[in-house]
Amino acid sequence: MSLDAVQVMSGQVKELKVPPPSNGDSRGSWEEKEEFDRDHLGLSTKPKPVTGRRARKVEGGVFFPKPENAVTVAVSSRVLFRTEREQKVFEQEGVEEYLRDQIAHEDEPFAPGPAFPFVKVKRHTDSQRHQCTDIDRVCADWLLFFDRCVLRQALETVNGRLRELYPQSEELFDIVLVTYNHAHVGIRLINTINHHNLFIERFCMTGGSSPIGYLKAWHTNLYLSADAEKVREALAEGIAAATMFMPGKQTEVSESQLRVAFDGDAVLFSDESERIFKAHGLDKFFEHERANEDTLLDHGPLKGFLEALGKLQKKFYAKGHRLDCPIRTYLVTARSAASSGIRALKTLRAWGLEIDEALFLAGAPKGPMLEKIRPHIYFDDQMFHVEGAAEVGTIAAHVPYGIAQKHNPKQKAGVGK
Amino acid sequence: MVATVENTDVKQKDADRALIVAVTSRSVFESGADDDGDEEVYKVGTAFPLLQALQRVNERLLEENPAESLLFDVVLITTDRQQQQQSSRIISSTRHYGLEVGRFCFSSEEDFTESLLTNNVQLFLSTDAMEASQASQKGVVSAQLDQHAASCPSEQLRVLFCGDAVVRLSSSPAPASQQAPQSFSAQLGEMRQRFGLFDSPVSVVLVTSRGGRESCGTALRTLRSHGVSVDEAYCLAGAPRGPMLSLIRPHFLLSVGFSDLKE
Repeated sequence: MSLDAVQVMSGQVKELKVPPPSNGDSRGSWEEKEEFDRDHLGLSTKPKPVTGRRARKVEGGVFFPKPENAVTVAVSSRVLFRTEREQKVFEQEGVEEYLRDQIAHEDEPFAPGPAFPFVKVKRHTDSQRHQCTDIDRVCADWLLFFDRCVLRQALETVNGRLRELYPQSEELFDIVLVTYNHAHVGIRLINTINHHNLFIERFCMTGGSSPIGYLKAWHTNLYLSADAEKVREALAEGIAAATMFMPGKQTEVSESQLRVAFDGDAVLFSDESERIFKAHGLDKFFEHERANEDTLLDHGPLKGFLEALGKLQKKFYAKGHRLDCPIRTYLVTARSAASSGIRALKTLRAWGLEIDEALFLAGAPKGPMLEKIRPHIYFDDQMFHVEGAAEVGTIAAHVPYGIAQKHNPKQKAGVGK
Repeated sequence: MVATVENTDVKQKDADRALIVAVTSRSVFESGADDDGDEEVYKVGTAFPLLQALQRVNERLLEENPAESLLFDVVLITTDRQQQQQSSRIISSTRHYGLEVGRFCFSSEEDFTESLLTNNVQLFLSTDAMEASQASQKGVVSAQLDQHAASCPSEQLRVLFCGDAVVRLSSSPAPASQQAPQSFSAQLGEMRQRFGLFDSPVSVVLVTSRGGRESCGTALRTLRSHGVSVDEAYCLAGAPRGPMLSLIRPHFLLSVGFSDLKE
């Protein structure tokens, strides 16, 4: 492996291996706190409100960034907090009755119920800005999960730092709820948001119409949903989108630095090379990449999101915060540094995109690497890798794009791409 | 002098139960510079798709219940002398397109607002902001029709309520009475209830522009207290309305309630 080949690219990429996370908290103190929390909180049905959440107000007025200025993350909610009883009403008596039932109960906030994986978030006693709650049970709707999850909290952290440096700027992360849901459940939704003190201030309830147009109107930079169909629809319209998968057990991640990791082919780049690999095998793939080293790869569905992150990163660099930038990006690819990786790096450079760390696995499994870097979210086009990520406790997002979707996603690729 | 003419082509609605909507002739038909032209029939104007949508609602209401009396009763009204003198052309154009207009009201600038009151009009629609404002001052629920409404018409009648007081449509002060808006809302709400969630010929949409989710919640509750169930809700919290409105494609916009002005 030639380091020179790697260093040809951006100065950011120093090594092939990953240094330990620079901003991690020490393990010891975590475990202590966990013990304390368990004893203290026990099993309460009502999640404690998240206090210290920064209200988005500025001097009495309400301050929300304009969508075109913000990095907008749209989340969707397929099913709003459907309990078992409600599910029965829905299935047996149909949607009209279900909605009537919703209205009859609308002063009761939606309660989390069974069906979704486990969320466990740590309590931090030193930072008042994000006091988290232990939700010691499963959540019915991943909206609640999303609110509590490390990704969203990291977005909030970055916003905090941005506001410190650029108090008047609208270039912040903004989260919007875009849902097919009917506005009949609007009041109940709002009651629920209030009750759980969720982050949502902006939403679209389209009453059944496609939300795609609204995603565009919100200048959505990233659309996350639990529903693969909607994600596919969004991708087809050129919107960066991914299906979120929650890990059974979340690994600890940095609290002060948002880390976003991307697969290369069919995520940041198009799936053109993957097609060759699938059709003609690994050797042909290497040959093709070498021959086309100086030809840029075409862009993939998440290139724009990386770009948006890069813009925010530059704002920190401009104020002398390159070393402690609260956003860090990673490329985690099965390409190899010595050969096929060069084309990827050259492409990124030509696009003017910096990626902080490029990890070339040459076909090795991604799990151990993800475990090392601990991203808040990892994007991959292959379910095999998405599942692998979830297994090591990483929030993984599947990008259902490209040739990989036409193959059995459970197929274990020997030298996986 | 105002002349009111029944359209004999169309079955008359029950005046007590119908939701009476007046639309200006200038909105419905495109009157060119040459109004004395040789052509008998006007071209269609901005409000044409709206009338068709109202008609579709009536058709569906009658499908559900042939004896339905809560229907839209459309009055075509002229609001200036020039149009007032085009009565025969207006009538023949209406017939030509088979529009379900119950009555024609030939009035001028000075007396059209009186006509609205005399005819118990519950909703007045015009492409002219001044006219909408004048009618509003007389206590008639009014809305200015958007030019864009015609460019991408929806088959479904889409009524947009604006939840923020800042989105006032007329610059005139609010009418003293709350009765007119509330009774209109109640009837519209009742009409909407005749249909199910999906495949309804009418949809009620709410947009709150400025405040956060609380203002949207308040608007939803207010509308509900007026008997209106909302189908789609958009809480913009400061995002520009333009792109959203072009997606929502309402036929016309109303304020939730003038009581909101106090907030």
